[in-house]
Amino acid sequence: MTVMLEHIKKYYTFVDKTNPLTKILIGLLLFLLVVLMHNPNQLFYLAMIMLVALVVLSGIQLRYLLVMLALFLVFGAFSAMYMVFYGAGTTTLFRFGLIHITEESLIRGIHIMMRGLTLSFFGALVIFTTKLTDVFYSLMIQLRLKPKFAYSFMAAIRMVPIIAGEYMMLRQARKVRKPLIHKRHISGLKGFITTVITLLSQSIRRAYRLGVAMEAKQFDDGPRTYYYQTSFSKYDVLFVEMVIVIAFVSFFLGTEFSLINVTDAR
Amino acid sequence: MAQRKGLTLTDVLITVVIGFVFAVIYSLWGAVYTVLQPLGLHLNELVYGMWFIAAVVAYLILRKPGVALLAEFAAGAGETIVTLQFDVILIVYALLQGLACEIIFAAFKYESTKMMTAVYAGIAAALITLPIDWFYGYLAEVAVWNIVLMFSLRIISGALIAGVLAHLIYQALKETGVLKFVGRRKLSHDEGL
Repeated sequence: MTVMLEHIKKYYTFVDKTNPLTKILIGLLLFLLVVLMHNPNQLFYLAMIMLVALVVLSGIQLRYLLVMLALFLVFGAFSAMYMVFYGAGTTTLFRFGLIHITEESLIRGIHIMMRGLTLSFFGALVIFTTKLTDVFYSLMIQLRLKPKFAYSFMAAIRMVPIIAGEYMMLRQARKVRKPLIHKRHISGLKGFITTVITLLSQSIRRAYRLGVAMEAKQFDDGPRTYYYQTSFSKYDVLFVEMVIVIAFVSFFLGTEFSLINVTDAR
Repeated sequence: MAQRKGLTLTDVLITVVIGFVFAVIYSLWGAVYTVLQPLGLHLNELVYGMWFIAAVVAYLILRKPGVALLAEFAAGAGETIVTLQFDVILIVYALLQGLACEIIFAAFKYESTKMMTAVYAGIAAALITLPIDWFYGYLAEVAVWNIVLMFSLRIISGALIAGVLAHLIYQALKETGVLKFVGRRKLSHDEGL
């Protein structure tokens, strides 16, 4: 993953040096914050500042971020449709059959969409600045997660390309044999189950073999040394401070410079 | 491998790999879900049950405490890795849905492999995140028929996909013979082998 990212990453910032656990914890708190934030103005500023943070701190080339932003907007809009179309409200903007768009439901829909966007922006920042192995090393070193869990995850990550490769092979085999076998073995429920069974059974065999091999080499949960070291540092403090400042600035801007005259999306 | 009660390294490894196989499927499934979303009629809820299937399948294969939770977490975390999107909600939901399945399986003392057990787990997982959706999506402010539709479609989906389909997968997997290596062998899958 990191290998792929290096092509599009231009520079590194302090967020790259922040401990993954700090980022995950802040992510959880941010989730609580957006669920408790009912003022669309505040949420708008929060989403915007988060976007700026993503652009500045991720160090990713702008055109990739733009593509991603477009996708986030489309998915975000889809996920808010139910509210826009069928939400409660009194000021009707549009009515067609069951669909009843009101000013209130539209604003609430946009509010829900901005919640998603804020979290997506933060999530993207985390993804672009975190090495996957560091997450598991931090879990082991800082949170004392048992190595068997962490190493199982890291080993399984290595198997994902193999799983994907097997899936492609299966597809090609089916393409070749298509004229000879019944269609239901390829598409539909039967086809789905066949695919899953093939992938699962091979993966279980592979995992079992690896597990036996690791146990034979005396892999256990006892004391051990680590090839990579992770720790908490001043960058973690800086990161936490930054998010707190972002939250307060958006509170302030949303209250003092509100864009729409609605302070509660409910 | 010694027959120990807790999770051995091999158990964990198998569970996580099962979770990752489903992570790939979940990621592709996201497209199906999104395509069904725009009408706002919650047709997407009909496919929602796919997202708890990892927990049920992993449990049926290994039948040990903690497997359902671990598999669902692995599938959620795997989705993050496959799609390169870190989504806090996704991880929280994965943990809760795994936990819901785990509670049902614990109630059956981790022994039952009946289809109904899987169906109950699917329904439990469908129910557990509704309170969060309620607050996150302001569901109190949506037309009542729309909410009823959403809830019932999700529960049906949980029962059918995470329950019935997961059980079908388990049955088919048993026939391949791969399960004789794994899980609690004593009450095991290996009838006839």
